[in-house]
Amino acid sequence: MPSGGKKKRKKPSRKKSELDSALDKVGDESAAAAIKEFQDLLGEAKGDTSELIRQNAEELERRLVLLKKRKIDKEDFDYFVENQKRDLRVFVDSQPAQDQERAEKLTLHVLEIAVTKVVPLLIMAI
Amino acid sequence: MNSTSVARNVFLCVAAVFIASCGTATFTKSGSDATIESLRSFHLAFIDEFAVPGKKFNATAFNAKVNEGNAKFQQAIANDQFTARRPVFVDLKAQFDADAAHIKSKASRGKVTPALASEMKKDVNKIYDHALGR
Repeated sequence: MPSGGKKKRKKPSRKKSELDSALDKVGDESAAAAIKEFQDLLGEAKGDTSELIRQNAEELERRLVLLKKRKIDKEDFDYFVENQKRDLRVFVDSQPAQDQERAEKLTLHVLEIAVTKVVPLLIMAI
Repeated sequence: MNSTSVARNVFLCVAAVFIASCGTATFTKSGSDATIESLRSFHLAFIDEFAVPGKKFNATAFNAKVNEGNAKFQQAIANDQFTARRPVFVDLKAQFDADAAHIKSKASRGKVTPALASEMKKDVNKIYDHALGR
């Protein structure tokens, strides 16, 4: 599913999601930059023209909300992220060279920030 | 037979071989698609059977079903005539192995939740849809 070529990108939605509201309540100033970067990238990914990038962002957001609500635990969350990464590596590698960096930023990089920075804050806030 | 009719016959032969090979490829691919759908059904049924909140984990039944799954995936990998699909079957088996390991880990500790089962099935459907090029 190539996302290549120059495409119009949808503007990220300004409306606050359930996840945004949860993230607004966690962390201190040192975490604020990481959360801001995550929210910006997730918003951009959710508005991307590539279905796979959008789908990945929506899955990640849904699972962060499930984690926050304790409907899944961190083991489950990490497991699903590994599933997503496996699927996405093939996608990123299949993109034209000039699109790979952006595709990686909006998929694998967003997942990485979620795991390393967002999840620890969410868990602390539970 | 002049050179024009020879050329025409050669062209017709090549066209016939091409059309026949297309038919074979289509037939082979549809057989491969059916195998993927069969594996999807098995994989989803496996999750429905073992990723059940509150259900006591039955290691014997679980191992038997995992062995059945392994045999199905191995057979699909070995028998598939549409060779371009072989790596896809290997990926699907890797997903089955990973799901089985996660379910075993959670179910044996009584830590399966409805959301876990539901999200797992979403991932399974997604990977099979991708395998089918959807």
